[in-house]
Amino acid sequence: MSILSKLFKKKNKSKQNDNYRQQQDPDAPKNLPILRDYHENISRLKEELGNSTDVAFREFNLKQYKGVAVYIDGLANSNMISDFFMDALLKNQEELQSDSFQNLVDKVTSLGNLRIINNWGQVYESLLSGNTLFFVEGHTKAINVETKGWDKRAISEPTTQLSIRGPKDSFIESIRTNTALIRRRIKSPNLWLETMKIGTVTQTDVAIMYVKGIVNDKVVTEVKERLNQINIDSVLESGYIEQLIEDQTWTSFPTIFHTERPDVVSSQLLEGRVAIFVDGTPFVITAPAVFIQFFQAPDDYYSRFDISTGIRLLRILSFFIALIAPALYISITTFHQEMVPTTMAIAIAAQRENVPFPAFVEALIMEVTFEILREAGLRLPRAVGQAVSIVGALVIGQAAVQAGFVSPVMVIVVSITAIANFSTPSFAMAISARLLRFIIMALATFLGFYGIMLGVMFMTIHLCSLRSFGIPYMSPIAPFNINQQQDVLIRFPIWAFKNRPPLISKGNIKRTGKGQKPGPPSQSDRKQDSDQGDQS
Amino acid sequence: MEKAKIKSTQLFVLIVLFEMGSALVVGIGTDAKQDAWITVLLGLAGGICLFLIYAKLFLYYPDVPLTSYIQKITGKFIGRILGFLYVIYFMYLSARVLRDFGELLTTTIYSSTPLLIINALMVLTIVYAVYKGFEVIARVGELYFALVYCIALLGFMLIMFSGLVHMENLRPILENGWMPILKITLGQTLNFPFGEMNVFTMLLPYLNEPKKVKRVCIGGMILSGLNITIATVINIASLGVPLFERSPFPLLSTVSKISLANFIERLDVFFMLYLMVGGFFKITLFFYAAVIGTSDLFGLKDYKKICFPMGLIILFASLSIASNYAEHIKEGIIIVPIFLHWPFQIIVPVGLLIIAFFRNRKKQLIN
Repeated sequence: MSILSKLFKKKNKSKQNDNYRQQQDPDAPKNLPILRDYHENISRLKEELGNSTDVAFREFNLKQYKGVAVYIDGLANSNMISDFFMDALLKNQEELQSDSFQNLVDKVTSLGNLRIINNWGQVYESLLSGNTLFFVEGHTKAINVETKGWDKRAISEPTTQLSIRGPKDSFIESIRTNTALIRRRIKSPNLWLETMKIGTVTQTDVAIMYVKGIVNDKVVTEVKERLNQINIDSVLESGYIEQLIEDQTWTSFPTIFHTERPDVVSSQLLEGRVAIFVDGTPFVITAPAVFIQFFQAPDDYYSRFDISTGIRLLRILSFFIALIAPALYISITTFHQEMVPTTMAIAIAAQRENVPFPAFVEALIMEVTFEILREAGLRLPRAVGQAVSIVGALVIGQAAVQAGFVSPVMVIVVSITAIANFSTPSFAMAISARLLRFIIMALATFLGFYGIMLGVMFMTIHLCSLRSFGIPYMSPIAPFNINQQQDVLIRFPIWAFKNRPPLISKGNIKRTGKGQKPGPPSQSDRKQDSDQGDQS
Repeated sequence: MEKAKIKSTQLFVLIVLFEMGSALVVGIGTDAKQDAWITVLLGLAGGICLFLIYAKLFLYYPDVPLTSYIQKITGKFIGRILGFLYVIYFMYLSARVLRDFGELLTTTIYSSTPLLIINALMVLTIVYAVYKGFEVIARVGELYFALVYCIALLGFMLIMFSGLVHMENLRPILENGWMPILKITLGQTLNFPFGEMNVFTMLLPYLNEPKKVKRVCIGGMILSGLNITIATVINIASLGVPLFERSPFPLLSTVSKISLANFIERLDVFFMLYLMVGGFFKITLFFYAAVIGTSDLFGLKDYKKICFPMGLIILFASLSIASNYAEHIKEGIIIVPIFLHWPFQIIVPVGLLIIAFFRNRKKQLIN
């Protein structure tokens, strides 16, 4: 009996929860009408918003009209309301002759973007996005005036993706500012924007942006479909969206690109990708993404091609260093001593003589210590940050060696690994190498080079099997396409970027016109010039 | 059959990796002494002739693998038995290459690691690749093709600069006349590696342009044949005939002789890197053919379910097909060519082609 009643109670409880959810559900009161008596509207609002103190009611009493303006303090721009709304209303008092609602709509404000609202469901939608609502006695309609204006951060320099040359602005937390940053760069009517709300509770604005005619329409529909399928209570960052729409969860590699730089997003849009903006975060995600994209830094395109090519190759090399350097150290000291020149082998052996641990443990201690320092460095309050870096430098460097915990070579290896890891432009890719490094280290411990090769091979197979919105992740390297190599390992000169990547973009494929290769003026022109020069 | 399509360049790359896979490692035609490279070239010529048979069969039935059209040609009953034998043949070969591979690692570097561990990890990687599908294998092939070629070029230059190559080691050419060379060609190099192209009878239906099949495959065979010839010539020239004959892995011996400026030496590891890539593709393709053949014969909808069990079979077969390396090699030289390669690579396909020719002519006459 008691068990039964317990069960019953539990059931009841869950039912209550459901009810609660339903009340929270913004769809529920959609069909209710707006009441004729504005006092009743006020009391209903107060009740349903739980008397929240940030809801401001400003009653007014003009000739024919009595009513109330409602807005949420902090979301709506109160200067705007007093300047354009209340003032305009008071000034235009005399002109408010006729009794019609339309007349009031015409005269109520000098602000644009007016909308008439007919039912209660829309009330919350507009109120909570910062608009001001205008209930009038005797009418079952409300006037909705766009008065959004909350405090936002100024556009500042990017903090995570730095570059030597290139624009210094970065996205902020406001979706409208972010989309405007792109509009300012691509002044084309073909730059299309679609918005939707995701998150049953948070009702977050999410926008899809693409260049019509360049983008592959299939990808756009696929992105929209995946976004529409999302059913989650909250979207607090674009990472939520990224994890909900990516092709494969069981991978450490990012299959969707994210950035806080408007110039990067613009270039991606022009290659035919789709950008997804999420309100409340400065990180914009773009899809589809390919592997090599995570090694392309914005400076690559702003500096000359030979320099960029060299630097890009360096980055790819450092990705591999970050991945296998500790594993190489382990396997050389454990299995393949004959690989290094004799004097060096002796030097390493002599250093390791006092170290009590096998190479793997030694490497693991140092790597884990470093990862902890790095993570702690991220979270630390700025004031104590310096202290930790000093302590870290001591722990990871001199002291560990002097205490005989690790050999000096190991310190070098760890430092190289760490620095190499930072040279990957994309944090998402770098962190993947950080994780895989430990697996490869373990393999190297048991099987030396064979283990490293096995790990790398496993990784390659995995990479080749990934897809991002239908595009093979390793393209255009595997499957190899000779016509798409302008921007892979070698960055071709800008004039050689004849076409957009055909796997990603469809339709308008041409990028540069004919004869873009720069050079000195042709022979005949030069002759004329020099003739003139002689004459003068 | 899996729904997959590969480009002709991908097929080309797979063929080159497959052919060079273990042929470079174990060294072929060593019995012909300084004329080993001639047997390789003759084997290549013979292999191309054999491949024309496979290509003709493929063009008769461009949509299905060998195990399916063998049933159409010889009838359900005999066809199924023959198809099953082919599956076992492919499984045996993949186990064999796996053994070669594991033996090399245990004899050279990992002398105290059990063969089981080395083979098991390799099989795990291969099963993963096969599980991911043929398109993925082809893509991995493209990636590693570039890697292998870079290493090969580097190795070639290092051998040249080290001054190891003594061309006089190749003389006298044709010391004992043509007869021994022909004998070795028919007994060894024709079947291994060039006759092993018959594994592609299972894989050709994946090609997206069936018309290009001859050009692509023969091109791949010629490129790999020439590479093997060059490697053999270099091996003989730098090792000398006696050492070349005795060495179980001639290329490894050559590579370990590289010494430049007293700093670049002991490059065995790079050889191992190549060995892993080549071995991986050879075993993977044999294994994939076996898996696809099984699912085709038994009408399985999803081949992925049998990847792992068949991987286990290959793993244990690789350990049990021979009790030691000498036995393994002896089997490979004496038994396998006569009892396995000749029937499966030459006799059965020729028979199939003859029957298919008459069947299709009859059809054409009726039409």
